[in-house]
Amino acid sequence: MKEKIKILVVDDEEVVCRSVNRILSKEGYRVDEALRPEVALEKMKGAGYDLVFTDWKMPGIDGMELIARIKEIRPETDIVMITGYSSIESAVKAMSLGAFNYIPKPFTPNELSNITARAIERRRLLREERSKAEKTYVIFEYVMPDDLYYLPEHAWVRVGEGKEVAEIGIDDVYQKTIGRITKIDLPEPGGLVTQGNPYAEIHASGERIYQSFSPISGMVAEVNQELKRDAGLVNKDPYGKGWIARVNPSSLEEDLKNLLHGDAVIKWWLKREIIERRQENYVNVVALDPKFKFEIAAEPGGEKIRSCFACGTCTAICPVREIDDEYNPRKIIRMALLGMREEVLASNFIWLCASCYSCEEYCPQGVKFTEVINAIKNIAVREGHIPPSFITQLELIRTHGRLYPIDDFDNKKRKKEGLPPIRMEAGGAERTYELSGLKKMMTKTVRPSP
Amino acid sequence: MKYALFLGCTIPARARNYELSLRKTASVLGIEFVDIEGFGCCGFPIKSVHHETFLLLAAKSLILAEEHSLDICCPCSACTSVLTEVNKKLSEDKDLRQSVVEKLSPGKTYRFQDSIRVRHIARVLYEDVGIEKIKSQLKRQLTGLSVAPHYGCHYLKPSEIYGGFDDPGNPKSLDELIEAIRAKPVSYEGKDRCCGGAVLAMNENISLAIAEKKLKNVKEAGADAISLICPFCSVMFDDNQRSIETKFSESYQLPVLYYTQLLGLALGFDERELGLNMNKVKTAELVARLGQKL
Ligand code: SF4
Ligand code: SF4
Repeated sequence: MKEKIKILVVDDEEVVCRSVNRILSKEGYRVDEALRPEVALEKMKGAGYDLVFTDWKMPGIDGMELIARIKEIRPETDIVMITGYSSIESAVKAMSLGAFNYIPKPFTPNELSNITARAIERRRLLREERSKAEKTYVIFEYVMPDDLYYLPEHAWVRVGEGKEVAEIGIDDVYQKTIGRITKIDLPEPGGLVTQGNPYAEIHASGERIYQSFSPISGMVAEVNQELKRDAGLVNKDPYGKGWIARVNPSSLEEDLKNLLHGDAVIKWWLKREIIERRQENYVNVVALDPKFKFEIAAEPGGEKIRSCFACGTCTAICPVREIDDEYNPRKIIRMALLGMREEVLASNFIWLCASCYSCEEYCPQGVKFTEVINAIKNIAVREGHIPPSFITQLELIRTHGRLYPIDDFDNKKRKKEGLPPIRMEAGGAERTYELSGLKKMMTKTVRPSP
Repeated sequence: MKYALFLGCTIPARARNYELSLRKTASVLGIEFVDIEGFGCCGFPIKSVHHETFLLLAAKSLILAEEHSLDICCPCSACTSVLTEVNKKLSEDKDLRQSVVEKLSPGKTYRFQDSIRVRHIARVLYEDVGIEKIKSQLKRQLTGLSVAPHYGCHYLKPSEIYGGFDDPGNPKSLDELIEAIRAKPVSYEGKDRCCGGAVLAMNENISLAIAEKKLKNVKEAGADAISLICPFCSVMFDDNQRSIETKFSESYQLPVLYYTQLLGLALGFDERELGLNMNKVKTAELVARLGQKL
């Protein structure tokens, strides 16, 4: 497998090229070198490479431009930018141009080998994701809890109220590409961390050790003691129970400027898709409504939708999905987070939830999908999308106060059986409908979905 | 033990066997039910359509109970979850409480969960009556009867509203209630799974397929009957068992009894008193196997 992976290393320092070549060749990869970016581009036009390591600062074409040009020629190539330690800003910029990752200089053979392994694993995951039935919608990267700030494919930070303490952890793409986490060497409380620099060592299956980069600078106030007992918590719940440390930030405002947040995360990923010319397989980017998730979050029950990171636990446990693949909670929530408003509201599948609450019980992020889907349905109804059977139910309750009306005949039967009569409420639920505004809405928008 | 009995929409019209057995068994176990005029739909069917109406409908019933100073007992799991949820929400969220009360009973004050509790009948039997009391009242042994408990969804979920009662992933209260009447609770795959009832109106195929899975698992586990505690679930397993058998070319013939019907048999009531004649899958054979009344 490894000998099939072709790697190109581009650096004007021969010694760097040589050492990368030596380390990765020993691992069984096929490695080629280019001392000048122009040579690299010529080579790309030929056979092409799966992975390119490129220096940032080179005479003539610099690393940033090289990334853009390589992506022009071969959009599917993964690129790792070799940077100086403190240049997180340029690292994020490189990634927004389509680079897969960055590696700060100086690096160890172990770090180089691990980043290569991650790149290959990420390719495999993407291929797998895209071959699933969901491929017409989105790929896994798009959905992350969006109350967080990201160093993409690496780390996240959750800023607490008052901004005195910020929680940091690794994101789920990073976690997925390193595999099962067996141990984490946590930083010491009181120690200093710097944005973009390593602060914890993560041991994963296959005896690999990865560096975790801090998304902010500051002093470690507390570490997650639970991880000492079960480091796998990071795999299970990367944005919740799997947090790594709490930090007193030293330059938060400045640090956050280098990170991605909110809609910028989706835009960032979409841009990557466009660079890699995959957008036509996915969604019509222009038709997306980025406000849709906020609209859902403003409904009772929809509040936590933005905490979803598409782990798929809900889908795995859903009894409806077990019978019919067309119904897929994770897909619905991803479509909603992406902003596919019309597709979601007018769909029939939102009405297939059995309200069993299983997903809610197991969601690691406490998203409360059962309530989220109710929130979505409430919006759909206001827009005139309601299945006919629900209109019948609404009418029955309005006129009789109950779904199954009880008349004199029923009460006679009840009496014969020794049961007390059921008195129907005069006027049914009409008054309640008036008070809640449903009556008005029924005359205006409640009509059957096509 | 005095409760306002909240029957909801389905039971008085479509599950009188449940109501009969419920009232009969309660009468000998020291539970007094008060029927309150004005209790109607709990709001469950409207939750997905119009949240505000759902909230007001539920609050209306809770207010009625509070005015009578009575806790609510629901035999329907959906009513239980909706009333529990709104009771909790309105006691915790002052602004919401004020706006709801202002609409329904202007000028008055209510405390909701801080004043009244909402309890499913199975929980009342388990916690308030207690296993020992049930055991002490037995008039007939159900020994030898293997019963698969079906918990359904809303009796224990969403767990956050039920204050830690039982474990929805590995529940035991209904098992213990079955044991209390000397029947044998049968464990089976997917015991905590849904009956499919909530999608019946939208997609019969999905709904029946979900129920079929469960019937199959129960049958494979060797149970003589299913025992359940919700009228929706009964519609799926009892009323629709014949359709499921036809659709999936299977024969299950699994009697489906409300727990209160089983309990009633153990307490010495006869079949008619418990509405067993109204069950769709015949129960005569099963009853014939039971021991004589003591
Ligand atoms: S289980 Fe929760 S976090 Fe995971 S995909 Fe479903 S809603 Fe999102
Ligand atoms: S509540 Fe709805 S989406 Fe969640 S598991 Fe049950 S049927 Fe599936």
